[in-house]
Amino acid sequence: MTADKEKRRAISREAARRRRRVESDVFGDLSRLLPLQPSVRAHLDKPSVIRLTLSYIRTHTLLKGRTGTKTEVSHAVKYAEVKEGGEDRPECDEEKETEEVEASDESNMYLRILEGFLMVLSTEGDMIFLSDNVSKYMGLTQTELMGHNIFEFTHPCDHEEIRSNLRLTAEEVWRGAKRDFVMRIKSALTHRGRSANLKSATWKVLHCQGRAKVCVGPSSVSCLLLTCQPLPLSHTLLSTHTFTSQHSMDMRFTHCDQRVTALLGYGPEELLGRSIYDLCHTLDTSCLTKNHLNLCLKTQSVSGQYRMLVKGGGYVWVESHSAVIPSVRPSKSRPGAHQPLCILCVTYVLSGVEQPSLQLSLDQTVHRYLR
Amino acid sequence: MSAGGNDGTATRPADPTAEEEGPSQAGSSLPAVELPRKRKGDVEERSDTHVQQSLDFQMDDDLSRSEGEDQQVKMKCFREPHSQIEKRRRDKMNNLIDELAAMIPACQPMARKLDKLTVLRKAVQHLKTLKAGTSSAFTDTTYKPSILPHDDLRQLLLRAADGFLLVVSCDRAKILFTSESVSKILHFSRLELTGQSLFDFVHHKDINKVKEQLASSELYPRQRLIDAATGVQVQADSPVRPSHLTTGARRSFFCRMKHSRVAGKHEDKPSLLITSKKKDTYKYCTLHCTGYMRSWPSSQLDSEGDTEKETSNLTCLVTVCRLLPHTSHQPSKDVNVKPAEFVTRCAIDGKFTFVDQRATTVIGYLPQEILGTSCYEYFHQDDLQQLAEKHRQALRSKEKIETQCYKFKTKYGVYVSLQSQWFSFTNPWTKEVEFIVSLNRVISGPAHTKDEEAGSSKALQEDAKQIPIIPSLSSGVGTMIYAGSIGTQIANELIDTYSRMNSSPSSGAPSPFGPAQEKGPLVSPPTSRSASSREEAAGSSSQSHSDSGTAAGASSAASESTGEPSQLDFDSMVVPGLSSFSSDEAAMAVIMSLLETDVNMGQSGDFGDLHWPF
Repeated sequence: MTADKEKRRAISREAARRRRRVESDVFGDLSRLLPLQPSVRAHLDKPSVIRLTLSYIRTHTLLKGRTGTKTEVSHAVKYAEVKEGGEDRPECDEEKETEEVEASDESNMYLRILEGFLMVLSTEGDMIFLSDNVSKYMGLTQTELMGHNIFEFTHPCDHEEIRSNLRLTAEEVWRGAKRDFVMRIKSALTHRGRSANLKSATWKVLHCQGRAKVCVGPSSVSCLLLTCQPLPLSHTLLSTHTFTSQHSMDMRFTHCDQRVTALLGYGPEELLGRSIYDLCHTLDTSCLTKNHLNLCLKTQSVSGQYRMLVKGGGYVWVESHSAVIPSVRPSKSRPGAHQPLCILCVTYVLSGVEQPSLQLSLDQTVHRYLR
Repeated sequence: MSAGGNDGTATRPADPTAEEEGPSQAGSSLPAVELPRKRKGDVEERSDTHVQQSLDFQMDDDLSRSEGEDQQVKMKCFREPHSQIEKRRRDKMNNLIDELAAMIPACQPMARKLDKLTVLRKAVQHLKTLKAGTSSAFTDTTYKPSILPHDDLRQLLLRAADGFLLVVSCDRAKILFTSESVSKILHFSRLELTGQSLFDFVHHKDINKVKEQLASSELYPRQRLIDAATGVQVQADSPVRPSHLTTGARRSFFCRMKHSRVAGKHEDKPSLLITSKKKDTYKYCTLHCTGYMRSWPSSQLDSEGDTEKETSNLTCLVTVCRLLPHTSHQPSKDVNVKPAEFVTRCAIDGKFTFVDQRATTVIGYLPQEILGTSCYEYFHQDDLQQLAEKHRQALRSKEKIETQCYKFKTKYGVYVSLQSQWFSFTNPWTKEVEFIVSLNRVISGPAHTKDEEAGSSKALQEDAKQIPIIPSLSSGVGTMIYAGSIGTQIANELIDTYSRMNSSPSSGAPSPFGPAQEKGPLVSPPTSRSASSREEAAGSSSQSHSDSGTAAGASSAASESTGEPSQLDFDSMVVPGLSSFSSDEAAMAVIMSLLETDVNMGQSGDFGDLHWPF
């Protein structure tokens, strides 16, 4: 009896081995079809192959968009969509290759200028596509991340906000569905820029901007196209149309640079102790609040445009990039006064003074500014 | 990327004995920890993820571990039975297969679920067909492959970024190159732009700003840097370092550029777009331009080469210009302003600190005429009670408080019916209310007003038994000190709440009916923190008999409290001059108690005991 059993077991083992071999072969085929570097390909495990295949398919569906749905016409479709402006379609392979190389240069340039990476998110938060420079910012490569879910890599407190950005209503799509938010993502980069363990990952603040896109098709995909830029901690200020200011955590001015006088009419000392909320147009209160909350929670923020009231009347449109500066205790290497936790803002003035004779706030009625 | 369990098994793709691969992160041949794939924001797995995330995650491709080590790691991190780990791995694989099946058109019409191998085979076929549609360069091994053809990447990028590439020469600001997407954003074609001077398209007021950014001369004034670690500005007083000019020096600025008006397409344009006052009818949009400086060897250019001696290179600015998102500044969902509406902002005591210019058409006053005065001075006396209550509510609630219709006195003495939404703004850091935003809407219709009057006088008569009417002066603007004090008192309550919360002694607050305080009548909240709390006012008013100013109106009202007062009586009352009003505190206390809606204060009997201090 046992011999029989043994035999049966041996047969089933052999069958299992055969099945696995076949399966591995198919996986191998699949991975060879993926446009990956050979070195990367060799190290892929099975779930990753599927994950990347999914991403590949989804990205292509995304790009086909509303135009084509059948794979047979995908060739023509792709070129039709891509060649806007009525340029001639290159017919031969060689030309296509040059195109490709040019496109590669251009897109590399974009990514470099952007100082960020491109991310395509599904409505469930799966990172369908990431540009390959993501490794520069997150320490993890494109193939490691693609197909995974963004909620695995972002700060739990930001999940609600991310979810609300992923939600899409029909009306929004009609209007263009812009997205602009700040979130914290894990970065496995060390200070020196080397990749480290995810265990020792730090939070990196990313400013994500983009739009939602819906592609109609048999498997309609709607997703978010985002550029993700880490918010810089240092700013190079060249312009006379920018000023910096320092605030206590409740957004009252504690310091302001001289350039504010030419831009808003106030001298730096006049602003000390005043709340930024007093100095801005009431309708922009919510914009500022959001900015303030982002700062308190995520330590960095971009405000979007709001109006700052000019001394004596009128207002200017501005945008502020801010960060929370950790408190500095005097130490041997950095002697000096103790600097408490504070907010540093770099404000870009976008417009000239609008409606200079209009006095909207109490403060403007009291002062008179002669330009 | 954590394993279904906590093992650190290495990937063994060729291992025939492994049933399922230890899930590992792609690109690594190492023991890796894989996070469970989240589906639809799956929250239940969170705790597991957390646990797994704390495990080692090797990313360095060069490292390799021996089998023995793996086993050790596996044992060390063992938290679940092995079967559970296996099950999880299988489930994960099955989920992936299902997702794959959903994405492949060939797999979809099938009624029954396809087995793993079939799905995989169909996936292979599908990929082959997809690839057939792409350029051959894609499969060329000498060329760096990428998941997306670069053309598509470029498209995606520009669509996401809502921007275009711009290359401008630094010396003459000539546009050398723009990407195709410029036509979507500026509505000018590439041809119209290339070769033109950038300054033809930039808003005239921003020309200087842009010139600054393009300037690559060494004479450019100091470059300012902010050291983020200390927040200190570092000024490079010496002439700009050479690196500033070389390739890579970054630029980031905002500027307004013309864009052709396209009729009917942009009705939702935000007010940020301003029409040029000149005779050309262009509209401008604001762009955020970020990029860097780059040098092109002049040999590559036809006739653009610099003739200067120092350098034969042409320096350019290469930027991506992104359209600023409009959503951030559009009136948020909180404050959705429509015509015949205006916005005001008040300090917590009700004094106007901000008035929208649209208010003028409604109330007749220019903003500067009412700024600094209390909103209560303009409310009709019938509405004071209701509004004060709403005021109190607004200060304490994060919600929007809707007022009922009320009458607001316009410049010309006529009342206009308004209805407002009030909500308080709390500083996210200090959690204190800083001001109240009021969205005011005009309610039209005379019939409405009449009802209001009838209603209010009726209510008044009922209430009158309990609460005397607040006296008001029928003429003059800004002389309604009593009314103005209402706001101050309400504000003071709030401040006391804060100070009590901060455990500062508030019990030491003096009785309002004690020796007169040396405070001006219209005192703003931060300086009148010693005002008594509600409870004290209520308590002490019943005790006080004496002095502190007079307000004949109130006293006669009190004496009439048991009677049948009518509004008309007040006009005939002798109202003391303002100078006889020596204490604001006293007035506040009275008004406070008048507005008190506590049941305790409502008994008519109690009022007999009260001796109004006026």
